[in-house]
Amino acid sequence: MMSNAVSIIQELEAIALSPYKSVMRTMKETGKEAIGCFPIYAPEELIYAAGMLPVGMWGGDTELKLADRYLQTFCCSIMRSNIEYSMKGAYDMLKAVIIPTFCDTLKCICENWKVSAPRIPVIPMVYPQNRRIDAGFVYMTEELERVRGALEEISEKPITDAMLEDAFAVYEAYRSAMREFVSVAAEHPEMINARSRHLIIKAAYFSDKKAYTDKINKLTEALKKESVKPFPGIKVVATGLIAEPPALLDIFAKNNVAIAADDLAQESRQFRTLSRSDGNVIQRLAWRIVDQQGCTFLYEVEKTRGQMLIEQVRKTGSKGVVVFMMKFCDPEEFDYPIYKEELERAGIPVLYLETEQQMDSFAQIETRVQSFAEMLA
Amino acid sequence: MYLGIDIGSTSTKAALIDGKANLVAQKVVNIGTGTNGLELVLAELLHEAGLTMEDVVYTVATGYGRLLCDIADKQITEISCHAKGVSYLVNGTGTIIDIGGQDSKVIRLDPLGRVANFAMNEKCAAGTGRFLEVMGRVLGCKLDELSDLAGASTREIQISSVCTVFAESEVISQLSMGTRREDVAKGALVSIAKRVAGLCKRVGVEPKVVMTGGVALNKNMVEAMSRELKEDVQAAPYTQAVGAIGAALFAMEAAEKKENNNG
Repeated sequence: MMSNAVSIIQELEAIALSPYKSVMRTMKETGKEAIGCFPIYAPEELIYAAGMLPVGMWGGDTELKLADRYLQTFCCSIMRSNIEYSMKGAYDMLKAVIIPTFCDTLKCICENWKVSAPRIPVIPMVYPQNRRIDAGFVYMTEELERVRGALEEISEKPITDAMLEDAFAVYEAYRSAMREFVSVAAEHPEMINARSRHLIIKAAYFSDKKAYTDKINKLTEALKKESVKPFPGIKVVATGLIAEPPALLDIFAKNNVAIAADDLAQESRQFRTLSRSDGNVIQRLAWRIVDQQGCTFLYEVEKTRGQMLIEQVRKTGSKGVVVFMMKFCDPEEFDYPIYKEELERAGIPVLYLETEQQMDSFAQIETRVQSFAEMLA
Repeated sequence: MYLGIDIGSTSTKAALIDGKANLVAQKVVNIGTGTNGLELVLAELLHEAGLTMEDVVYTVATGYGRLLCDIADKQITEISCHAKGVSYLVNGTGTIIDIGGQDSKVIRLDPLGRVANFAMNEKCAAGTGRFLEVMGRVLGCKLDELSDLAGASTREIQISSVCTVFAESEVISQLSMGTRREDVAKGALVSIAKRVAGLCKRVGVEPKVVMTGGVALNKNMVEAMSRELKEDVQAAPYTQAVGAIGAALFAMEAAEKKENNNG
């Protein structure tokens, strides 16, 4: 059974480490055309319902040589990488891209995209600032319908309500599988270290969700059959936009620091919120955004993130919180002082790591991670 | 005998501790990682102590070059080692400010002398010893002369840029306008102190505040730091070797633990 788990882990890691190759293979295997999805939340169900493949676009470790033509150096490296990739032709397989406007940089990216990748149409998407009032909700359903129409035009076929129901069911199964996986993985840090955990979750962005969910379910079942062993290191909760590059996570594995739970935008924020069962699929998609809590990209008066992190720490027996702060990510930086204070008040140590996708020197970060582990040991 | 080695970016330090935690010897050579600094410092250290490597039971390496130190039994970060070393040397320390060659760290200790929190500068030379090196070069003086130069200042000028490269241009502009070298030197020290004070605020300052690292040899720097924090700040004894002393203490503990486990 263990070898079965290991082979699934290796397969998913390989998918995440070679996005281009993985997407091309998935397109070939499924016969689907691909639609790119910029961070943070894209209505992937609409794409899936249209018989197309949603592909995550969360940047990558590419040398930035061309992107500076359109983006300033103070834009986050995910956006700069995405524009760089588009100019290098890495996204040429995409039929279109959906760009939601969650931050100041994303608001401008739609225009940048038109010149950096003029052959790939862009579907902009604006989420309401006041998502929890009736007008915001109605606006969001109308925006989702508009995107549905745009995808119908691209796919040249209607997206029926029945197709939406089927796609929503696929994504519900995926989200449920992911919630179970992260919970079970937290008990097996000896098998699912920080790097593996990230790559396994990331592989979903380049796979067909149905096939991916089957693999995750098999992996979870295999993990469940393993006995829970004492872990000689420490467990932490990760927060932030994204925990990359993978070499950064190698440092965690090397120092026996396991990620027991996360609040990362690229990871658990995508699947942690339970869906409502009432209303049609468009309304359920909108409810998912309404009900999402503790995400800096979705305006929230109450600021629940700090308390949520405290609960995650306590629930998982973690000893601290690691902040993966993407350099120049304003929304994440705005939240930091608020939850840092709450965590410190609760006596929970915080490790702050400033990251970029193009990192070539890890010595200082290694000192921080090792010191944190020594401090908590 | 227990050996601690601290391989920094600009200097290598070593210390020996005996079985009763007495400091036997400590040495500093002013070349760091990637050089023969380790060989040199060990030769000087063992010569002074009248010992050989055969007498060393356990070795802990720390500092930027710790991971490449193959004679070490264990590697521990400089944050933990500075905490250990300062707790040993200065009773009741609450906060450590370590300004090294290429980074600066603030470490807050709990009442038992353990690390309670820490912060490091980001990938930038501002607020580090490197900043002072650059300033020293522009002012035409050695690093150890910078303190005396600043001590002769009669007027504090402000260096507003936090970036070392831009600050260098700013200082050249000041000098070309006829500003005295002494005043510029003082401005450079205050600039670092302000930067590091910001770092201190991230972890909170608890007295007693102790400075370590080569920059703490600069007494005007320690005073500038004290003024910025509005706290009494003192330089640690053996300020450059504190990390190595802490590493040696960890070596003693690790060896005792190993012996107990074997016994």
